[in-house]
Amino acid sequence: MTAAIATLEPDTSTTREATSLAGKYLTFALAGEEYGLPVLKVREIIKILDITAVPQAPRHVKGVINLRGKVIPVVDLRLKFGFASQDYGERTCIIVIEVALRSSKVMVGVVVDAVSEVLTITSDEIEATPEFGEHVNTEFMRGVAKIKGRVKFLLDLDRIFGGAATLL
Amino acid sequence: MANQPEPSSREVIDSALNRLLCDLALGDGGKLDVANRSSDLVTLVVGLGSPALDSLIGDVAIANNAGDLERALVAFSEAWNVWTPDGDRAPGPAAPPAPAARKEAAASVPTPAAETSNAQSRVDEDVAALRGDPELAAMFVGEALDHLSSIETCVLQLEAAPGDTKLLNDIFRPFHTVKGNAGALGVTRVQELAHKVENLLDLCRSGRHTLGPAETDAVLEAVDVLTALINDIQGRLNGRPGTDLEPRRRVLMDVVDGLVNGTGAVARAVDTPVPPAVVDKAVGTVARNAAEAQAEPWTRESASAVEPAPSSDSAPKPTPSRRADDIAGQVSVKVDTRKLDNLVDMVGELVIAQAILQEDPALLKAADERLTRNLAQLKRITSDLQKNAMSMRMVPIRQTFQKMARLVRDLSKKSGKSVDLVLSGEDTELDRRVVEDINDPLMHMVRNSVDHGIEDAERRAKSGKRPEGRLALSAYHQGGNIVIAIEDDGAGLNSERILAKAVSQGLVRPNDTLTPSEIHQLIFRPGFSTAEKITEISGRGVGMDVVRRNIDALRGRIEIQSTIGRGTTFLIKLPLTLAILDGLLLGVGTERFVMPTFGVRESLRPVPEQIHTVQGRPCMLQVRDKLVPLVWLAELFGIEGRETDACRATVVVIEDDGHQVGLVVDRLLGKQEVVIKSLGEAFGQMSGVAGAAILGDGRVGLILDAHGIVGRTRGEGSRAA
Repeated sequence: MTAAIATLEPDTSTTREATSLAGKYLTFALAGEEYGLPVLKVREIIKILDITAVPQAPRHVKGVINLRGKVIPVVDLRLKFGFASQDYGERTCIIVIEVALRSSKVMVGVVVDAVSEVLTITSDEIEATPEFGEHVNTEFMRGVAKIKGRVKFLLDLDRIFGGAATLL
Repeated sequence: MANQPEPSSREVIDSALNRLLCDLALGDGGKLDVANRSSDLVTLVVGLGSPALDSLIGDVAIANNAGDLERALVAFSEAWNVWTPDGDRAPGPAAPPAPAARKEAAASVPTPAAETSNAQSRVDEDVAALRGDPELAAMFVGEALDHLSSIETCVLQLEAAPGDTKLLNDIFRPFHTVKGNAGALGVTRVQELAHKVENLLDLCRSGRHTLGPAETDAVLEAVDVLTALINDIQGRLNGRPGTDLEPRRRVLMDVVDGLVNGTGAVARAVDTPVPPAVVDKAVGTVARNAAEAQAEPWTRESASAVEPAPSSDSAPKPTPSRRADDIAGQVSVKVDTRKLDNLVDMVGELVIAQAILQEDPALLKAADERLTRNLAQLKRITSDLQKNAMSMRMVPIRQTFQKMARLVRDLSKKSGKSVDLVLSGEDTELDRRVVEDINDPLMHMVRNSVDHGIEDAERRAKSGKRPEGRLALSAYHQGGNIVIAIEDDGAGLNSERILAKAVSQGLVRPNDTLTPSEIHQLIFRPGFSTAEKITEISGRGVGMDVVRRNIDALRGRIEIQSTIGRGTTFLIKLPLTLAILDGLLLGVGTERFVMPTFGVRESLRPVPEQIHTVQGRPCMLQVRDKLVPLVWLAELFGIEGRETDACRATVVVIEDDGHQVGLVVDRLLGKQEVVIKSLGEAFGQMSGVAGAAILGDGRVGLILDAHGIVGRTRGEGSRAA
């Protein structure tokens, strides 16, 4: 699981999103649920490695890692979404994604339980995010995909990390 | 397979590449599958017939394991993403359609006055001329600015050695090149001005005109105006609002015309940078010198030396003359700094990979002489490579110093004090960013030295000094640092007055005893400098706190040596490079931190007698006769599993701004040079952490910030009290 996915045609991704949510998604498991990230935002997938904690950072920011000479922050998506934390194991992965912070683009590592597969999701498989009531925060979701009876939540990365000036 | 790149072939390759990367990423594609797909991709790409892509896809073709294939594919896909069928080069930033933008801009000119709209449309034309090809525009701007700064240097040298033909030619040639480049690109305002000045210089070269003070001023003003024009155009290209430079340009062109025609018309020009008196005098000297010129040997020499040049005069082709310059001087290549930083990153990784290999138990066990020798060779090459990569960020401070030469010249004219500037160590190399960022503080300090440090001739005569003030700027290495010294022989700092002022402003308590150097440092306190009369009293004034802040940001510090009546020396001590930092590696629990040695005074293992407790907590450490507050790094950062007994821990005494703090850590792991990495925007401002470094084993260690830690302790201390 150490191979890389490079973004393809990053420039056209935004226009494509505007027209439709359909496209390729990298799906992964988190606390027994399935989530999907647009594959165009994924830079690479690496095995979990030593994370250096950063003081004063919120709990979901696990720290920083050395990604081939670059220091990038790592966020535990379980903690970010309010799930119970879990020890990292064989299947735990860091998905390295690129998000827009303020004006610049930064790379962020996202810790997930396990990476599943890359799926091509068509627009008729995608539904708008339903309202789950006030207990569930749906602002990070772009939509829900129903595939072979399983539900996958499609995440909006720029909502999760972007907009704010920092990860903190 | 299409030989011509059609729109569809991009999609085909995209999807092939995508599938392959996904297979690899998930690791579940069968080996055969991956091999088949990669050979499909290779065939597709070769079909495009692009040399740049061919070499990259070649790596994909010969990769025989997943790791190699992945690396090759990533490299290829990066190139592929920016590749365009028409030519093997990355497309520049999207250029907005020029004509439309021009029309809009022209339409938006509110004043119907013909002259204004005419000037405006000429500005727009210049901007539009460069908009078509961003790469070419960037090259033009970069080259022109280089030329202009070299002209400035030469003019100043020529002023000191009038009649030097070589220097005159060195001024003429870059003007000619700038004119030619501007003409070729259609930046007419630059071309016009450069052309006029070139004419003037040509007359001087051929001995038909004498280069007097008025001419020198005009040429220097031309350098300023051209620089401003080019910067303005570049700013407009990037969407920044421009400034109206047209009046200044017109005035200067009139001045130059006046000089060329030898008439006094200039005197009527409004806002002329050349005082009319000077011009009149200059015109007078022109006539006088014209006769003498015949007899002067250098003018004849210059006439013959000029001979080969006019050949390039007729056709203003930018590239050949540029190349000639390069061959004459140093051949250099301009590289994007991001590429350099990437290279430094990768080399850093290589060094780590090499170290890991060196320490590998399997290799250590295999006591093979040849293997050991080869490994040693690898280590040597790696460290050489690292040194080379680092040195690429270094540039000599020469240019910055030369800017000061210009500044001192202008200041001394304005203030009527004559000042000799002595430069030394211009070849001392500093980190590129240091050189850029040191410019403003240095300018400020030089201005202060001339304005307030050096007395006027009358007062100098009274104290028995030479009438000319002396200002020495020097740069040199000292113990792993670069020192920039600004030395004047002026009045010196008046400690008593500074102290009195500080007391009256409440910065110091009346009965505090301060060392002379502590008193001098007071001038860097914010608020202190804004005091109204201090410039008259002590000679040091506005904004020294800003200077101090700039130097701090470069991890440097300023020392002052001053004797009343004899002069002042400012020593700016800067790190050799911003990229590498000398640090102490500290261990706390399982975490490791790097403390820059710059802020470390000493480290020690305390004995019980040294520790003073407050309410049962060890709070103070007695170091010789000084009491130093203790800070537990583990507490500060919330690290578990730390040493709790201060006497079994190590105390690192750090200092910032004269305040010392004893930082308690578990272990001192050694001294290490680390490459500094920013934590990036993601983390914003964090107190106590200055950045991150990649340690010998490839893990990340945080770099501590003495300033932040000391500041935090002091803040908390005062709140508790």
